[in-house]
Amino acid sequence: MRALARVDLAVHGGCVFGLLGPNGAGKTTLVKILLGIAFPTGGGATVLGRPPGDVSAKARIGYLPENHRYPAHLTGRQVLDYFGRLSRLREPMRSRRVVDVLRRVRMEEWGATRVHKYSKGMLQRLGMAQAILNEPDLLVLDEPTDGVDPIGRREIRDLVLEQKRRGATVFLNSHLLSEVERICDEVAILKEGRLARGGRLSDLTRAAEIYEVEIREPRPEALASLAARVPGLRPGGPPADGTAAGGSVARLELEGDVAALSRLIDLLRQEGIAIAAIRPRRDSLEDVFVKVVGEGEA
Amino acid sequence: MRIAAIVLETCRELLYRRTLLVYFGVVTLTHLFFLLALQTDVANGVIASMTIFGVGGQAAGNGMVFDSGAAAGPLGLSAAKFVGGVQLAVAFALYPAGIMLSVFATASLVPRMLEKGSIDLLLSKPVSRPGLFVARWLGALLVAGANLMYLVGGLGVILGVKTGVWNGGFLLSGLAMTVYFASLLGFLALAGTLLRSTTLSIMVTAILFAVSLIVRLPHQNAEWPALITGRAWRLAAQGLVEALYHALPRTFEFGQIVTALILKQGGVSPGPVINTAIVGVAALALATYHFSRTDF
Repeated sequence: MRALARVDLAVHGGCVFGLLGPNGAGKTTLVKILLGIAFPTGGGATVLGRPPGDVSAKARIGYLPENHRYPAHLTGRQVLDYFGRLSRLREPMRSRRVVDVLRRVRMEEWGATRVHKYSKGMLQRLGMAQAILNEPDLLVLDEPTDGVDPIGRREIRDLVLEQKRRGATVFLNSHLLSEVERICDEVAILKEGRLARGGRLSDLTRAAEIYEVEIREPRPEALASLAARVPGLRPGGPPADGTAAGGSVARLELEGDVAALSRLIDLLRQEGIAIAAIRPRRDSLEDVFVKVVGEGEA
Repeated sequence: MRIAAIVLETCRELLYRRTLLVYFGVVTLTHLFFLLALQTDVANGVIASMTIFGVGGQAAGNGMVFDSGAAAGPLGLSAAKFVGGVQLAVAFALYPAGIMLSVFATASLVPRMLEKGSIDLLLSKPVSRPGLFVARWLGALLVAGANLMYLVGGLGVILGVKTGVWNGGFLLSGLAMTVYFASLLGFLALAGTLLRSTTLSIMVTAILFAVSLIVRLPHQNAEWPALITGRAWRLAAQGLVEALYHALPRTFEFGQIVTALILKQGGVSPGPVINTAIVGVAALALATYHFSRTDF
């Protein structure tokens, strides 16, 4: 059985990249191959310009695996010190970083407690601290918010964005599409071991040539006239601010190119209809994901 | 630094499990027994008087008499013989116990390391796979070896101070047993990486131990193949015995070597020690190779 086949993708430096896919799509296998934890039967890859598993490249990588385990007899601080040593951090920098990352994941009070007493959320925070301990150039996170409460999730999200601001590339493997949508610049969707879709998040979530136009004080006869004169124009859903359609604001949907949009704007002005907003319609990442994963399954 | 960190962490993990601390406690009790309960008076290399828990003995002619009321009879003890005898008894009681407890304590090191969530994290760090694996083996060996050396070093010093007999052979026997355990640990690591189960690793190692002890009998006995009538079966059985004999640690011979070293009998051949070390290294190398090539 092939876990991955013909996956061809590049992640640009300094971006937050989200790897998505249903269970069994090959996401974790891909991450493991990139980190040298598993070996590909064919093909090639480079990570930070080096082959997967290269020891010098690994020194620049931080990794938070899914369901990670730490030696139960160690305290949080000892765990970080141990993995800091493995990451080639020398004293006194190592001790400084340990204190710093414990503070950043709000675990400083638990540093002296053995990890077998930690809750799942605390273990996840410790895992995050361990992953950023060496200030990596590449941060690979596998389900980083798994088991974390909403506040913790937000803090982890902030940490990821902080890493991005620092210049790190973040490779995020998550089931939480809302999380991915909030922080990722680029995404790829794997399906049955193949790359089903990939690109910039803003490109993937933009529906092809559909614009939403919100107008004030709509007159029914003017709307009917517009609908007859502009092909692809139809009533949209309720306005974004929640005002019911037919009230003081109405939403129209235009399926067409920029020229069609310009023509609509001209006609609205001719009719004396005030334009409240114009925006290209975007699908949510969830819409895109469901569509991509569902393709060919009907 | 990274390899040292893994070695130290492995030692810390073993100490946390306390199995080897039990052995440390038993050895300490043995030391305390000889330190506090045994009092000797040695003259010209012969024990003139000795008390154990306050029960006294006196030199009587060629031996000793304990005057606890029920005389133990003449023992004919020179200090060197007494020390050798005690050390041999302790070695045959506590060496196997030490090896057994060390196997129990260290058997989980490899399977635990290979568990999902643990191995991923370790392999993501800038440590080579062979370095990681060998460091775990080394950490286990350090703790088990330290326990054995604590036994022979402590008892050697206590008896040396009390009797004036300093038996370097006892120390050498401890080193020999450390080599033996290192070899067994190589097989344990191989079983751990192939089977990924602590229980199965212990079982396999116990079987190897038993086979290595037993296989010496047919190896030494030139007559036994005659019991098998079929030529092919005879050759196959002979081949199997010889293969096992040469591929496993020389358990039986180590018993002989320990005895000869402690009693200073001389004629100790390094062959079995070298062979045991080689097969142990081979098992460790095989385990390391398998670990280095495995997908996790």
